[in-house]
Amino acid sequence: MIKSGIYKDVFEQALFSLSDNKLRSILSVLGIAVGIGAVMAVGSVTEGIRDFVYHELESYGIRTIWVYRDPDETKDQNRAVRQGSGITNEDYEFFRKSKTCCPALKRVTPQLYWAEQKPVRVGGENHLMNVEGVGVEYLEINNDRLEHGRNLTNNDINRRHPVAILGPAAAEDMYGRTNPMGKTFRYLEQKYTVIGVIKPKSRDIIEKVNADSYDPNKRILIPYTNLQVVFGSKDIHTLLGEAYSLEDTVDAMEQVKTVLERRYTGRFSYKSENMQGWIDNANEYIGKLRMTGLSFAALALFVGGMGIMNIMSTSVIERTREIGIRKALGAQYEDIRFQFLMEATAVSTVGGVIGLVLGIVATYVVGYSTGYGFKPSWSMGVVAILVSAGVGLLSGFFPSRHAARLNPVEALRHE
Amino acid sequence: MILLQDVSKTYYLGEVAVPVLKHISLQINQGEFVAIMGPSGSGKSTLMNIIGCLDVADSGRYMLGGTAIQHMPEAQLATIRNRYIGFVFQSFNLIPRVSALRNVELPMIYAGIDPEIRRQRALTALQIVGLRDRAEHTGANMSGGQQQRVAIARALVNNPQVIIADEPTGALDTHTGQEIMKLFQQLNANGKTIVMVTHEKEIAAYAQRILFVRDGQVIETQLESVVDNSVASK
Repeated sequence: MIKSGIYKDVFEQALFSLSDNKLRSILSVLGIAVGIGAVMAVGSVTEGIRDFVYHELESYGIRTIWVYRDPDETKDQNRAVRQGSGITNEDYEFFRKSKTCCPALKRVTPQLYWAEQKPVRVGGENHLMNVEGVGVEYLEINNDRLEHGRNLTNNDINRRHPVAILGPAAAEDMYGRTNPMGKTFRYLEQKYTVIGVIKPKSRDIIEKVNADSYDPNKRILIPYTNLQVVFGSKDIHTLLGEAYSLEDTVDAMEQVKTVLERRYTGRFSYKSENMQGWIDNANEYIGKLRMTGLSFAALALFVGGMGIMNIMSTSVIERTREIGIRKALGAQYEDIRFQFLMEATAVSTVGGVIGLVLGIVATYVVGYSTGYGFKPSWSMGVVAILVSAGVGLLSGFFPSRHAARLNPVEALRHE
Repeated sequence: MILLQDVSKTYYLGEVAVPVLKHISLQINQGEFVAIMGPSGSGKSTLMNIIGCLDVADSGRYMLGGTAIQHMPEAQLATIRNRYIGFVFQSFNLIPRVSALRNVELPMIYAGIDPEIRRQRALTALQIVGLRDRAEHTGANMSGGQQQRVAIARALVNNPQVIIADEPTGALDTHTGQEIMKLFQQLNANGKTIVMVTHEKEIAAYAQRILFVRDGQVIETQLESVVDNSVASK
């Protein structure tokens, strides 16, 4: 039973304990503060980074799936002879129009590209860009927004118009500061007209997480039908789809593959991908970052906790007589135990509050200096305070037990 | 009523058994003012600790107000001390740095008494010892006599049956000591049982009855012979 009036008493005594052992108190409080500050900062920053990574992944279409013919088939003697990508315009039209085949699939577009980059020519200059043949749904699936101009239309697709949408870096490389709208370039001996420019995409964190040289800002998007003319076939290399939700992506992949395998029974088999690999990589990266930070925090908390244990042990010895008095006045084992546990907790929580402030400041400093503008995570703040209280309880465990077990007669005799 | 029957207590210094109390029987009635005297090492402190439920006897019976104390676990002893016994010590033993009021409140905190009632009762107890206006002072800002009065208020506040005083004037000058003794007499006149350990004849004279402890045994005695015995023992 915790008695109603004990809190004020305990709080006062905790302050006395702190002021009695000033140097030790400062060191212990500092240890806890550094540990809690690290917990807060690491928690907030990694949460911030995770938000950024997810935001970036989101900007690439986190619900995106890719389905394509299994490249390993070409190693199979019997199947390699079957030419083609295993996906045609008819398949695409089927997925596009069928309301029932793939319940998890929201929209789909073809994607075609050359295995190696071919130069884009502007006024006699060559530029290496990622040219892709796509459909009208592409921008939406990929979460791309237009800075200028317009999207591809069904008319562009059906009539194989030589029009192009440029990534911002592509536009700048090819035309410098001048407005690219309406400008032309040559690609594979055809002349294309620029009808749109897409907004830039951040890839800061993804670049750190995955060493990927593919730059989405250097894309050039043209009607897939137009690129098929060059290829001389109605093959589609990859079906690019969007699932209704992140959780739906696995279902969507399976549904598309199942339909394709039924349409080409015994002829082709398919592979699929989603962003899960990216998400896993990102999580792994964030996990490593967090582990490093939290190991440091744990060390500081350990040092701080040992300091508090030391203060409390000293305090129990110095106050042996006081404990005897309290017992003579009727304090129970639990009363004494509670008092010293709470004192330890109060000391560590003071450290925790200071650490919280340090952590908030550190979060802003890191956020400002890296340019990511991290914000303190309030849920981490609650965790940090709970952790500091927990450290207090742990470090007060043995000293408080020692105090509560003291024999009242001997304690009263203590000088 | 305090009733000890055939109470013995032995301490062990390593392998050596030191009998401190040897088959003590005594009775202190409700409302008595009794002084326990005896040379140092006689066992009077141990006797006081047993009567005060700070310690338990190895054998024999101890009844306090009809309750059998022997074999009680520490948790129950703490409750008995809290409800039925008030302690006054030689060195006052106030909790350092906290106010007189908070010191007096302490036994009531452990009794789980409501804060509002607690405060009122503590102020009343301080009024009885004449220190109501010093309620917010800490020990460091009070004279020895004042500190001992606060300690007495603290001993009174749970309205115990017995007040145990261990050399209550030992750290005070003669005049202040006499004032404290007058306060004890006043409390005794109001019905409190007082058991006081002292080695001073002048102080023991305030009691109605003297128990002299020597070599672990109790001798009921008169003040005059105490002086003789005390001298003889040296």
